[in-house]
Amino acid sequence: MKVVGARIPRYDGVAHVTGRTTYVDDVSVPGTLWAKALRSPHHHAGITTLDTSKAEAMPGVRGVITWKDVPLLEYGHLSALGIPADEPLLAKDEVRYRGQPIALVAAESEELAAEAVDAIEVGFEERPALFDVREAFDSDAPKVHQWGNWYPHFEGEMDRRQIRKGDIERAFDEADTIVQGVYRPAAIEHAPIETQVCQVVPEANGRLTIYSCTQALYFSLGVVAAHLQVPLNRLKIVGGTTGGGFGGKVDTATETMACLLVLKANRPVKWRWTREEEFLCSSTRAPWHMELATAMTKDGWILGQKMLTLHDAGAYARFSPYGLTKHSFHHTGAYSIPNLHFDGYVVFTNRTPTTAMRGFGVTSVSFAVETHLSRVAKELGLDPIEIRMRNANRIGDTSPNGVAYTDPSTIDTLQAIADAIGHELPADYRTMTNEPRAGELLPEHLVAQVGSTEGH
Amino acid sequence: MNLTVNGITHGVDGRELATLLDVLREDIGVTGPKAGCHQGGCGACTVLVDGEPRRSCLLPAGYADGTEITTVEGLGTPEKLAPIQQAFVHHYAAQCGFCTSGMMLAAHAYIDRGGTDDHDAIQQALGGHVCRCTGYSKIIDAVAAAARGDSFDLTTTAVGKYTTMATGGGE
Ligand code: FES
Ligand code: FES
Repeated sequence: MKVVGARIPRYDGVAHVTGRTTYVDDVSVPGTLWAKALRSPHHHAGITTLDTSKAEAMPGVRGVITWKDVPLLEYGHLSALGIPADEPLLAKDEVRYRGQPIALVAAESEELAAEAVDAIEVGFEERPALFDVREAFDSDAPKVHQWGNWYPHFEGEMDRRQIRKGDIERAFDEADTIVQGVYRPAAIEHAPIETQVCQVVPEANGRLTIYSCTQALYFSLGVVAAHLQVPLNRLKIVGGTTGGGFGGKVDTATETMACLLVLKANRPVKWRWTREEEFLCSSTRAPWHMELATAMTKDGWILGQKMLTLHDAGAYARFSPYGLTKHSFHHTGAYSIPNLHFDGYVVFTNRTPTTAMRGFGVTSVSFAVETHLSRVAKELGLDPIEIRMRNANRIGDTSPNGVAYTDPSTIDTLQAIADAIGHELPADYRTMTNEPRAGELLPEHLVAQVGSTEGH
Repeated sequence: MNLTVNGITHGVDGRELATLLDVLREDIGVTGPKAGCHQGGCGACTVLVDGEPRRSCLLPAGYADGTEITTVEGLGTPEKLAPIQQAFVHHYAAQCGFCTSGMMLAAHAYIDRGGTDDHDAIQQALGGHVCRCTGYSKIIDAVAAAARGDSFDLTTTAVGKYTTMATGGGE
């Protein structure tokens, strides 16, 4: 084998250290105009007036776009999967988060574009704003989204993602102890050192060439084509090295609006967000609210688990329904739990829309489950690693959504952790493997939990 | 004004009040220095002005009139990499690469001033240089190796402090 186990240098290492890697901002096209956005200063407001005429009349300004210039104003990040869209490319009559784009200007210089943005006249009527996902979930909370505060379009038009497995009532009846906890990880900004940026060039053959820092090239291509209502062959998208993304550059943030400016001005356009914009209005990792109740035997078996998850989508759905779905499939963590009752909601607030970040939907539940299990071990007076190993996923155990694991690594991982921190394990835990459960490690409550790994 | 960038002198007029970063990137076409924040907070735009590391986003270009400016392009070429460049490749110290030129120029100046492989001193010298790809321990290892004068085998990579995977393979 040439690669597995070998220490190979990065294919792009020499280019990185000699300054020869081309990032989007390094693409230089003569005659390029700079774009700047008029963004909402309010977290939630109605737009009462919008007049761009003064900005348009300024010398050096080559184009201004508003919602009126977008052929298909609303197109969702999950529209291709048949999920209805909720977010306008440029705000029309309402802004739902601070920094939401309302208009975009293209001008001969970055400074001029900024001045023109200041010359746009816009009126607002402020509305109540919500920033806490738990408060937004309350039925009497002010309404912040046109669909209500819960995303209502899961399969079968359900307003939640739910999982029911086994016999949860019996598990809670038979438990020696029920341990509860609430876990609330906060939003995190990806903060890539390269801010969101794109460069769009009109070609002589009528196509638009889009230089993009996206992490999801063909996905962005589809989003741009849909908003512009043009066939894919009108667009050429050029990716390359992303200056850090971490999930935050999966959303199509700049490309579509820059294309519209190019169509208006018939000149190349570059749009590079400032650091302030990156922090203010690029999408973040979501805040989550997770409530857990675990039915335990006193010797450390998890009989069942109830969970309520609220996933803060921010002001619009984007990828959140997908993130919550992943979350629900992983909501038992690395452990085998036969009886489950899970309800998950995507909740709208007036925060910046949230998105993927390194393990979309899953890191939140890992945080909750692991913190919770340590709390459980403490309450029962059991060893925190042994309680994990006892309930660890084994070959053949089934996930919350019924998939049988073929080679789960929970036990290997826990043994390595115990080793690394010098934690003594009893002999039977040191030699434990992920082989299917049997004997003492297959108590009655787990018999039905074993599925078939055939066909995987 | 005259800006000597990597040994080549450029006459640039009317841009004295623009930032050195914008003049380098947009007027002269040297794109190694990156615009990570435009406000002195990240270090991605760092260049050497008469050998001293400077945040080019904070420096009016006129201030650099008559100076010698070194950017990453002036450190070495792919055929002939400077020791600090070899160290970054061998130690896997560049992930996305966006912070890398600023990091290397600050490190280069540190070593030039006689900096040693002391990790605390290196951290001090790279203070305010932000890498979001979690590369700090590898970056510090790379700078320490270059400061020691290690030689680097660029067909493979170094085993880091936190690497337990056996070296070898390649058979
Ligand atoms: S761009 Fe100069 S310090 Fe960030
Ligand atoms: S390598 Fe990506 S920011 Fe440092």
